[in-house]
Amino acid sequence: MESALIILVAAPLVSGLLSLAVRTRPAMEKLQLGHAVVLWAAMAAVVAGVAAGEDVSFGSLLHADALSAFMDLMLAFVGGTALVYAVGYMGEKLSRRQVEFLRYRRFFVYFDLFLFAMVLAVNLDNIALMWIAVEGSTISAALSVGFNRTKAALEAGWKYIILNFVGITLALFGTVLVYYASEHVLGVSMEALKWSALARAAGSLNPVVLKMAFVFVMIGYGTKAGVAPMHTWLPDAHAEAPTPISAVLSGLMLNLGLYAVLRLKTVVDPAVGAEFAGSIMVGLGLLSMTIAATFMLIQRDYKRLFAYSSIEHVGIILVGFGVGGSAGVFGGLFHMINHALAKSTAFYAAGRVLLRYGHKNMEGVTGLLRQMPLVGGAMLLAALALAGMPPFGLFISEILIAIGAYDKRPWVAYLFLGLLVVAFAALVYQVFRMVLGEPKETGSPMTPGGGRYTAVALAANLAAMGYIGIHMPGFLRALFIPMTRIFHAMAEVP
Amino acid sequence: MAIHTDMGSQLVNLCSALLLLTCFAIIAQRRLSACVDLFALQSVFLAVTAALVAFLTGAYHIYIAAGLTVVIKAIVLPRILKAVIERLNVKRELELNINIPSSLLVCGALVILAFYITQPIISLGFLLTQDSLAIALAIVLIGFFIMIARKKAVTQVIGFLVIENGLFLGATAAAYGMPLIVELGVFFDILVAGLIIGVYTHRLQDTFDSVDTSKLTGLKE
Repeated sequence: MESALIILVAAPLVSGLLSLAVRTRPAMEKLQLGHAVVLWAAMAAVVAGVAAGEDVSFGSLLHADALSAFMDLMLAFVGGTALVYAVGYMGEKLSRRQVEFLRYRRFFVYFDLFLFAMVLAVNLDNIALMWIAVEGSTISAALSVGFNRTKAALEAGWKYIILNFVGITLALFGTVLVYYASEHVLGVSMEALKWSALARAAGSLNPVVLKMAFVFVMIGYGTKAGVAPMHTWLPDAHAEAPTPISAVLSGLMLNLGLYAVLRLKTVVDPAVGAEFAGSIMVGLGLLSMTIAATFMLIQRDYKRLFAYSSIEHVGIILVGFGVGGSAGVFGGLFHMINHALAKSTAFYAAGRVLLRYGHKNMEGVTGLLRQMPLVGGAMLLAALALAGMPPFGLFISEILIAIGAYDKRPWVAYLFLGLLVVAFAALVYQVFRMVLGEPKETGSPMTPGGGRYTAVALAANLAAMGYIGIHMPGFLRALFIPMTRIFHAMAEVP
Repeated sequence: MAIHTDMGSQLVNLCSALLLLTCFAIIAQRRLSACVDLFALQSVFLAVTAALVAFLTGAYHIYIAAGLTVVIKAIVLPRILKAVIERLNVKRELELNINIPSSLLVCGALVILAFYITQPIISLGFLLTQDSLAIALAIVLIGFFIMIARKKAVTQVIGFLVIENGLFLGATAAAYGMPLIVELGVFFDILVAGLIIGVYTHRLQDTFDSVDTSKLTGLKE
């Protein structure tokens, strides 16, 4: 099991370094597809190990408990499909001579390093080293966001850099404060920074310091997670980044930000009570949902539409963990993984549309189901899932979160459901206009054969989403039970 | 020993106060290259503070951090910034969102706020560096303010670096520094972040013919 964890963490780094030496397109395609397969296999072994009840660790550095394994599952699965998709997407760009080979190669280097930093961050058993890894992911994503050297991409990249670097710096201040609180209990050593030690000592840490630390970390990592009002970088970055990056930003990086906040919440709660962090999260969650629902209604750009939808879903997840209890926590976790799958699917489809039409204006995009049946169908399914339609898992998690909220504070549940309805209407209306009707523009036809990578990525994501939405598989159930224990929400998993 | 500690904590306080003072100097300064010099000076003060703490506590790993501060923040990053300024040919920072006198007033208020916020937790800290935590938070807040109040990309970078300095002071003050591996990682990240911001500033200049970030208004609803 140990070796699987090491392979999982090392594979993206090795692949990124090897990419530097690749000189031809077929070699790059083989390398990245192989990378995806290795990621999946290593992740499966780690998840199987943790689901069997044994935490997997390597030295005192890496430690995968149920929550880390859950993040691994999400990161490796969606990361793998994103790699497959990126091979197709960047290949198409290369065949059309929209990028030259050197930049094609550089794209994969950034992409692999980005994945590496994220996978590393969730498996590190140390709050400060996790910060370093998260900062690493922020830096590698900064390079990717401005990859297209247009004015708009540069502007988006600059906004991303300024907001996220400041955010991540605040998170470091929060981390220092956690150390300030824990060194009195655990001693001046690395031990005082270890998540496992912090979790054990949580009850005896100074509550005032932890409260301050949580506020800093919430704002800091919240910026990375796209939580309103720190979300302003998100629509620009998602719209202007190359689409495989948009998919990974939305499906994985936002969840990484949430993961960092949630880890600290598990330490803060025993010391100061669940109410403190919970109310902050519910408040920010509802604010994010309100802002996102409003902007989705008036959106003209389909990539921005999905970007705002991500802000909405981050809000939903925050409300879920904020209200807590087994319903809220389970709902939040289940929402995270389903959103990662559905949103990356939506972006994969949007990327193909962008390649075909060359613009992001929804007015000009109609009749996708006729013109691009596979992509249009996938976009329709993803949008229905994101809007919260059964049989997809997002329906279940939204209902569970609403039930959890109703138990604690009914007004939260009413507001939550009201905002869900607005977001539902906005998303379904906008996407229906794109997929139905007669095609208006023909666009530039795709290179034959390039679509098969997209088809694989879309099919894998949709199949996984349908699978866990209809029937919760055993390994996922085996992860959820210890995870609710980590969040101090012991109860039967629904 | 008591006198020694007392003297030591006075010295640490003095150095921290000098750090804060350079923040105000940066706020009051219009010339860009002078801002960079002031930032370098601030980093030197930071290194001196860290070295003092290392000397007084015997926590020798802080010496390494102090040395890295001098190399990276007082020498390498200012050089990069100067090179950027030279290439961009922006000598003066004339465009301010908020004029200098009111900026200074706001910063004074931020310092009071920082002391107010840290009041309840300050008694937890080590005797030697107790008051530095409040000063560290004040520097972080002023760094923010610099980023908001100035329009040029370069000054925003300086604001970011000032925030980092405040954080480093905070880590030294609150916990006698983080473990060495953490400090090294943080330094590496900051160096790379500084480089990337530099690269972006170049690209902004090439594409927009300006580093005035108030011209970045293409993307909106």
